[in-house]
Amino acid sequence: MIDGKYPLAETLTLPDYLIILAYLVGTVAIGVSIGRRIKTGKDFFLGGRQLPWWAVGMSLVATDIGGTDIIGVGGVAYTHGMAVANFEWIGCVPAMIVAAFVFVPFFYRTGVYTIPEFMERRYNVGVRTALAICWLVFMACNLGIMLLASAKMMSTLFGWEVMLCVWFTAALVGMYTLTGGLAAVVYTDAIQCAVMIGGCLLVTVLGLWEIGGLSGLQQATTPEQRQLILPVDTPSPFPWTGILFGLAFVLSPAYWIGNQAIIQRSLGAKNEFQAKASYVWGAVLKNIIPLIIVVPGLIAAARFPDLADGDQAYPMLVSTLLPAGLRGLFVAAFIAALMSSIDSYLNSAATILAIDLYKRFLRPQASERQLLTIGRVTTAALLAWAVAFAMQLTLLSERSGIYTIFQTLMAFFQGPALAILLCGVLWRRATGAAALTGFLLGVAFSISLFALSQEAVIGWLGWRPLFQVREPFLYFSVWAFALTLSVVVVGSLMTAPDPAEKTQYVIGSKLRPAPEATS
Amino acid sequence: MTSTPLHFIGDALRHALLVIPLPVVRVLFLALLAGVLVWVLTLPRSETTEPGGDGQNGDGRGGANLKVGATIALVLQLAIYSLL
Repeated sequence: MIDGKYPLAETLTLPDYLIILAYLVGTVAIGVSIGRRIKTGKDFFLGGRQLPWWAVGMSLVATDIGGTDIIGVGGVAYTHGMAVANFEWIGCVPAMIVAAFVFVPFFYRTGVYTIPEFMERRYNVGVRTALAICWLVFMACNLGIMLLASAKMMSTLFGWEVMLCVWFTAALVGMYTLTGGLAAVVYTDAIQCAVMIGGCLLVTVLGLWEIGGLSGLQQATTPEQRQLILPVDTPSPFPWTGILFGLAFVLSPAYWIGNQAIIQRSLGAKNEFQAKASYVWGAVLKNIIPLIIVVPGLIAAARFPDLADGDQAYPMLVSTLLPAGLRGLFVAAFIAALMSSIDSYLNSAATILAIDLYKRFLRPQASERQLLTIGRVTTAALLAWAVAFAMQLTLLSERSGIYTIFQTLMAFFQGPALAILLCGVLWRRATGAAALTGFLLGVAFSISLFALSQEAVIGWLGWRPLFQVREPFLYFSVWAFALTLSVVVVGSLMTAPDPAEKTQYVIGSKLRPAPEATS
Repeated sequence: MTSTPLHFIGDALRHALLVIPLPVVRVLFLALLAGVLVWVLTLPRSETTEPGGDGQNGDGRGGANLKVGATIALVLQLAIYSLL
């Protein structure tokens, strides 16, 4: 009998638990065995540049879908309908294809480890440091948030204690990320991607079967629920203007071109062609993601229209649709999704800390062995920090401003970061001084827009809300991008051009391949 | 409730965008995807196949052309945004 409090835990049987255990043991064993082959910093941070395209492509997709996304996106689809699929479709595919043929091969040829490192080569150390600090602060905070959000989700589904779930996830992810670095992360992500797609596809297929196929789903849902493109004045958070201008034009390219956790895995590919192929493969896979996480939300809306919380939609569907044994496969898929995001951000944060801060400022002559050691030490330190931060966050109310600020953190600097990156690689005249000024002003502007959207602030000022939609983070990024772009253009034209050693990092310039990028 | 210059700019933009009918918006979405597809199809072969090759690997097997995968991804997108 399911009383709905812990819908999954109440229906799990011994075969389910055996499947979950087999998945967990298998993943960790593969990750740890890869760790035995790691000998240098390059092995740890870039997988020795030996990663195959298919694994990198699956890792890109798995990193993008977090543990909370499967349940959360299904929940949003339950509440707001199909429009949330825009985040996986137009919010991914075009940017991934452009990145595959323009930006990924270009970054690969430069031989850099990180995007901030590229920024110093193109602009100056100030831009590198500002961006590295932004990424590090974001990733470090995000690790704690992801751990906590995943733990809360596990707690809701299974009835386990929240901090126990935090420790459990941290220990699992830590074991293989600490020993195997990027290679372990990418190969375990590939397994996690397959498990995630397999487990969720099963839910979609059985759900559609139960409801009478696509025509049954069509009859059971309203036209508004099935619509991808919503009007400007929609009550949902996804008006077409935010989707097209904020998501497709700014946040998506910023994510697929400028996000260290994403671009790093393509830099670890065997060669430039495989780096491009990984992005194209990822774009093909992205087409099916909404079918396995959004469509089940719609099926749940048709089957259980009266759920109080959208986040219960997916678990309810799993509990009622899947037979014993297969429910375990879904739980494995859920755990796979949450592990694949946390391990990637952990490895990328450690890379930035080791390469952009430790090696750049403290020990420029560090050997490959020393970099490997520092990579493992920073990974362990970041994991400890993430657990501690998650513990602190449990003390805060979800309604507190701090919690929201951390959740919106990436939107603060993604737009400005994309603007300086695009100017840097596409416009020879862009200068380092203008880029640094534009980036800092753009981030400050983003934060101001966020503050001016808070009820307490506008109430105190006596203003009307600046944005009509709830959660207007898509709009922050558009305006911050536009401001940064304007400042970089005007500022560059007012300052002396950068020397040729900087402008060789503009696409179309003669760039000598770095020795480590040619193997 | 006070309005600022920022509110006037926002309101003007919002009213202008509200006038655009949703079918025209759909065409905008499709045009973006079609534009990327056309660009991919016009990329030189050297950009989309393994170097050293004209689509041939060193072992004599035909090499993969990334245009195929990219076209599949984008055509699926065009179909999805035409239908939903």
